Amino acid sequence: MTTKRVHHLLRAAAIALLLGSLGAWAATGAHLGWTQTSVVETQRDEVTGIDFPVRRPAFIAGVEVPILGLASAAALAGLSLLRRRSSHLPA
Amino acid sequence: MNTSLRNSLQFAAVLSATALLAQAASQSFDFKDPKGVNNVQFKLDAPLESVTGTANGVSGTVAFDADHPETTRGKIVLDAASLTVGNPLMREHLHSDKWLDVANHPSIVFEATGASNVRKQGAQVLADITGTLTVKGVAKAVTVPVTFTYLPDRLGARLGKPELKGDLLVLRANFQVNRSDFGIQPGQMTDKVAEAIDLSLSIAGSSPRT
Repeated sequence: MTTKRVHHLLRAAAIALLLGSLGAWAATGAHLGWTQTSVVETQRDEVTGIDFPVRRPAFIAGVEVPILGLASAAALAGLSLLRRRSSHLPA
Repeated sequence: MNTSLRNSLQFAAVLSATALLAQAASQSFDFKDPKGVNNVQFKLDAPLESVTGTANGVSGTVAFDADHPETTRGKIVLDAASLTVGNPLMREHLHSDKWLDVANHPSIVFEATGASNVRKQGAQVLADITGTLTVKGVAKAVTVPVTFTYLPDRLGARLGKPELKGDLLVLRANFQVNRSDFGIQPGQMTDKVAEAIDLSLSIAGSSPRT
């Protein structure tokens, strides 16, 4: 694999990571807190009228997901630049 | 027997009978709910983070007299391990020795010792219940506004067993406590974990009749 192709792959991976993490975060409601692995639904007990929470498993991406995605994408993009610079060095 | 002694004995007998009647009129409600509906919801709204959670490990008994709600007494116990939030790591922290120390303090207890400001609002009774709230081993006197809803002869209908006779008592309360009052990381991390904890309690107790 040529160095140029590696650069392209690294950058493509960086963009994919960034878009993927942002997309996952936005798709699950752009939640501003930490990631949740369950959500609460409220049901009502008919006789007493008590509203009670029922938890069901669900993945809600928190702010750490796009932040980690951005950091990883930046690292990959940085790596592609480093490799480009080192490829210009004399053998 | 002279007259004054006889009068004193009669007075004592009347007092005893009155006390027995009052005790007999008071029903004991068990708050270990077979339907698992009883719940406590909590919210901590800090500048950087809002934490909401639920708990359903409720038990305890309350003595309630529909005609004399001011005599209400009882104890509600919450299993601290049943406190949960949506994030598993946050739940682990909440239960850890740094926060609630669930391993060493497995119960959160409210013991009601008195009722004041009792008034009726339709089918409901509103009262300020005074008692002792114990969290993480620290007991503190608190007064909680509570709404009582007495539902006579509704136990069977609720459990889907019409042959079962008994009454229900629903308690609802919304109040606030400060975590520092109970020695829970006082003054620490207040930007992420609010000092004030909003609590919302909705529980039903049953009193079967034979």
